[in-house]
Amino acid sequence: MSGANAGTGAVISARPATAGRLSRLMFRHEVLRGYTMLAPALVIMVLAILLPFVLMIVMSFWDQVGFDFDTTPTLQNYREIAEKPIYSALLLRSLWVSGIATLATVLVCYPMAYFVAFHVHRHKMLWLIIITLPFWTSYLMRIFSWKVILGYEGVINSGLMSIGLIDAPLDFLIYSPGAVTLTLAHTWAAFALLPIYVSLEKIDRSVLEAAADLGDSPLVRFFRITLPLSMPGVIAAVFLMFIPTVGDYVTPTLVGGPDGAMIGNLLQVQFGGVNNWPMGAAIAVVMVLAIAVVGLCFLALTALFRRWAT
Amino acid sequence: MDILDQLGAMKDGKLSRRAFNRSLFALGISTAVVPLSTRRTLAAPEDNPTYFTWGGYDIPELFVPYQEKYGELPNFSTYGATEDALTKLRSGFVAEVSHPCMSDVPVWNSTGLFQQIDTSRLSNWGDVFPDLYSYDYNMADGKPWMVPFSWGLTSMVYREDLVEWEDGESWSLQWDERYAQRLGSLASAGDVWWCAAIRAGIDYKDIGTPESFAKVAEVLRQQRPLIRMYSDDTTTLDQALTSGEIVSSLLWNSSTLYLRAAGVPVRFAKPKEGALAYVCGLMLHKDAPKLDRAYDVLDSLISQPSGEFLLNDYGYGAVNRKSFEKFTDAELDERGLGRDPVTILAANHLSSPQSMEWGAATVAELEMIKSGF
Repeated sequence: MSGANAGTGAVISARPATAGRLSRLMFRHEVLRGYTMLAPALVIMVLAILLPFVLMIVMSFWDQVGFDFDTTPTLQNYREIAEKPIYSALLLRSLWVSGIATLATVLVCYPMAYFVAFHVHRHKMLWLIIITLPFWTSYLMRIFSWKVILGYEGVINSGLMSIGLIDAPLDFLIYSPGAVTLTLAHTWAAFALLPIYVSLEKIDRSVLEAAADLGDSPLVRFFRITLPLSMPGVIAAVFLMFIPTVGDYVTPTLVGGPDGAMIGNLLQVQFGGVNNWPMGAAIAVVMVLAIAVVGLCFLALTALFRRWAT
Repeated sequence: MDILDQLGAMKDGKLSRRAFNRSLFALGISTAVVPLSTRRTLAAPEDNPTYFTWGGYDIPELFVPYQEKYGELPNFSTYGATEDALTKLRSGFVAEVSHPCMSDVPVWNSTGLFQQIDTSRLSNWGDVFPDLYSYDYNMADGKPWMVPFSWGLTSMVYREDLVEWEDGESWSLQWDERYAQRLGSLASAGDVWWCAAIRAGIDYKDIGTPESFAKVAEVLRQQRPLIRMYSDDTTTLDQALTSGEIVSSLLWNSSTLYLRAAGVPVRFAKPKEGALAYVCGLMLHKDAPKLDRAYDVLDSLISQPSGEFLLNDYGYGAVNRKSFEKFTDAELDERGLGRDPVTILAANHLSSPQSMEWGAATVAELEMIKSGF
């Protein structure tokens, strides 16, 4: 009887010992604590982003044979991308279109964010909600409404015709790279507005006062203080918008027409009708690299700007 | 115990714990059982097979017999081009019934994703024109891989009031400089490539040769600057025809009936070179989970009422002989059809099976051309 009791006692006392050791370990090592907290996100990142990305890179060196893959590594897909003009042309057009769209959006959103951050003092939340209200509608609906606005019998054309400015509808409004740029700039505006607003909101007002006290004119103060301090928000906005829009294929499909096609359209057909997944993977890899290069150039430019401003 | 008694007892504070628990128990059981009882009268979506088809065939009118039997429609999934559909099926999507065209059968079969159809399970099979399925590549041991569902022509739908023909209805309209940027086109290679081959004067027997490939590509490149929009979405093309944004488009004749009904003066061209003829139909997935009901989907689609709907509303040829009884010769002629599919198909150009590689190459080349390269 007493022996059995002793046995149970040992088991019970063992448990707090391990738990204690674990918590002591956690307490002592900050890095371990950090990784434990990151674990759920890390697992998702590895499973849903890193692994597919590696698979994509590996697949881009394969070859499609009928319905199957030839898995002997080959550079053939990359060679084709380098040799045929369509790939570089569509890639450049995509970078150009979404670059312009990003630039336009940031330029338009910055004053809006500035206004809400510095000149609105009550009901800021309400203002933000009102400004971002259009983005509560579906992405697709917003593109379609641009189709209605820009279309052959659309709002702009019928408006101009009814006041007698034009006789026949302007047919360059829709189905052109310009239409894609305009639609992208509008449909992604919320992604630019919010980060810029947050970084402007965080600027310490006393720094601005100090600049004014020391004799800076409002314009100089903006370029020396406000803009450099809000740069993280601008950079975030640029990346949040530029990266996804380069590969967008819904907008060019609906408002781009034959001349407004982008690299995303070409990529999509590789996984659809053309049924050449390795080629699609290679295009995706090249696209990611191109975005990375443009992004790094942009970061270098902003670093130069900061050095110049200070 | 009556419900009022119970409520009264509760009010008076006289309801025993046992009685209260009993009522709760009964309530719990009845709540749990409610979904079971309705399941029997109303089939749930998971009981029905999936029909994978072009947008526009996902409508109740084609499932009158099926609805009579089950009181429900099958599930639908739609696509814009058969090439996309096959890729989706190959990546593991299981739809009991798919809807490609007859000339796709050998390529689709080579995936090993389909099973032969036991026509003895189709009550309407006897009324189907044998000429629409008895192709040697479609039949094995007297059983078809594909049950035909519709046939018809791909040609141009044009605005009578905006187009002037120089020398009778001809494919030259789609290449006419006078209408530059006022022409539309379907987008899938299955239609565009084959129609351009007619324009290039290629016999369909030789369409698979490299020379023909180059010729068709060249013809399409000539056409590209004239085209305002390529779309697999007929609604987009219909709207553009209605507004006059385009005067003509490569299209199926369903648009003619639809637009004429809306008062738009359009006509379905009968080009002197002949139009592209097609026979499309239904294939059965080899792992079809709801095989019995899948057969009812097939039977419903080839039934007399479905065929009448196709002829009347879409202007597509029916495969059921009985479906034609309600229509006059003039009505059929307006749709570019006739009472005998064989004559119509022979008078135009019927697409024929090609290799998978050729198909993929045409899609890839067409994408290049559409993007301007």
